[in-house]
Amino acid sequence: MLFSAPSVERLVEAFRRLPGIGKRTAERLALHLLSAPEEEAQLLSEAVLEARARVRQCSVCCNLTETDPCPVCADDRRDAATICVVERPAGAMAIEKGGAYRGRYHVLHGALSPIEGIGPSELRIDRLMRRLEEDAVREVILATNATAEGEVTATYLSQKIAALGIAVTRIAHGVPMGGGLEFADDATLAHAIEGRTPVR
Amino acid sequence: MYVQRVECRLFRCLENVIFEPEPALNIIRGGNAQGKTSLLEAVLFAATSKSHRTNVESELPQYGADQFQLRLRAQRDTGAVDIESRWFRGTKRIKVNGVPQTRLSDLLGRVNVVFFSPEDVDLVRGGAAQRRRFLDMAISQVQPPYLAALQMYRQALRQRNELLRAAQPDHDHIAVWDAQLAQYGAVMTAQRAAFIAALSDHAARAYTQIAGAEPLALEYAPDVRMDESLAAVLERSRTSDIKRRVTQRGPHRDDFAVLVDARPARSHASQGQQKSAALAIKLAELALARERVGEYPVLMLDEVLAELDAQRARRLLDAIDPQVQCLMTTTELEDRHGFRDAGSALFRIERGRLEKD
Ligand SMILES: [Zn+2]
Repeated sequence: MLFSAPSVERLVEAFRRLPGIGKRTAERLALHLLSAPEEEAQLLSEAVLEARARVRQCSVCCNLTETDPCPVCADDRRDAATICVVERPAGAMAIEKGGAYRGRYHVLHGALSPIEGIGPSELRIDRLMRRLEEDAVREVILATNATAEGEVTATYLSQKIAALGIAVTRIAHGVPMGGGLEFADDATLAHAIEGRTPVR
Repeated sequence: MYVQRVECRLFRCLENVIFEPEPALNIIRGGNAQGKTSLLEAVLFAATSKSHRTNVESELPQYGADQFQLRLRAQRDTGAVDIESRWFRGTKRIKVNGVPQTRLSDLLGRVNVVFFSPEDVDLVRGGAAQRRRFLDMAISQVQPPYLAALQMYRQALRQRNELLRAAQPDHDHIAVWDAQLAQYGAVMTAQRAAFIAALSDHAARAYTQIAGAEPLALEYAPDVRMDESLAAVLERSRTSDIKRRVTQRGPHRDDFAVLVDARPARSHASQGQQKSAALAIKLAELALARERVGEYPVLMLDEVLAELDAQRARRLLDAIDPQVQCLMTTTELEDRHGFRDAGSALFRIERGRLEKD
């Protein structure tokens, strides 16, 4: 460890909790913030707090948003009869960038993972089922990741949704097995949505 | 394919070694603990990101170092492959042809290797887990979709076992993991069956060449028979699984039998037969890999000569196709097999320093 000050250690720890940040990167970030002009640290902490205060989950689709309902749910030109289910906001963002999708979203905020203590009730599944019962939805596209957890979540949802008589499809083509949506390129994702297949 | 150049820095006792083998037979001579095995281990680690001696990567840097680097350049029919493997304080970074790789499946199969060391007799003598490890590595190197299915299966198995340990296991939730296990388990079983059947033919041939007359055969012993539904088996064993808190059935309990003269070699064969059988399985892996990928992998034989009498050693060398690049270590300092006359490249390693003779 480079430092012995407890406040610095706390900062390094805070960075380490972020996804994709290892010990070395955390130390580098902390060191950078401490040696940069004070305004830079001020700016960062204010930006974090402000975004945190303004952004909440959309009461319809559970995506992160500053307005409620979110811009996609509020947009009448988007097809409300098609819902694309993703694990995380990043997944919705990735599909949005592909530009081909004109329906709406539902964000689960995770996938089934007993190891992480995530069962069906930890995900926004009830909210999705309520949406399906209340709105006139014709098709649900399951765009969970191609990981073991994403696949299982898709199976679980398809069984629940099939009971309502709504068509369920699963994106298939080009999403690498074991991979998350945010790692696929835009063209691959656009293709994946077009080439979706019915879930048995 | 063949290895053109290996650079080892701070890897085991190899502080700074450059190894440039010839495309055919290479003999690396040296006493015990001089770095022979580490040199082969370096090639194995660069190609597969695994060591045959340890699962603890922090044992790999030189004593007192917190890092090591390996660089391997190989030549394939399709062109050169350059692998860089850097380990620093527990973090491994791998590049293939300069491009960073994040998944094992993106590394395996770039440079195919078959490794044999005296401990591999455990393939015949040891437990099922060792045979499964061999199978998984061998199939993954030649059939990347197998590795993908295996990784999905393993993750699903971890998740299901976690659910079984819950205070009140949710049967609906377990059922979806069952479906996942069944889907990928079926892929594994089918590929293992096909692989072992093909491997058995090659192993029988290799065994006859190196050991003599008794026939050798390999027989797949899946935990759940292929005509049974794994999903149904899992559902039936669920209550018992919950009681024992572990998934008791499935391909993670598979095995294959090694039969010499139609009897299990594990219990009925002599030590010499067991060694020959293990070696024959590895040579079969080599031949099978060539069928599947179109060219021979690199063969590494660690201290096999010491284990064999002169006649068997001769037969082993005759059994290896001259097209195969072979990296072979030996403690024998004099050249009693006449390697030099046969045109093989000879190297000598002493206290981690390599020299070409
Ligand atoms: Zn919304």
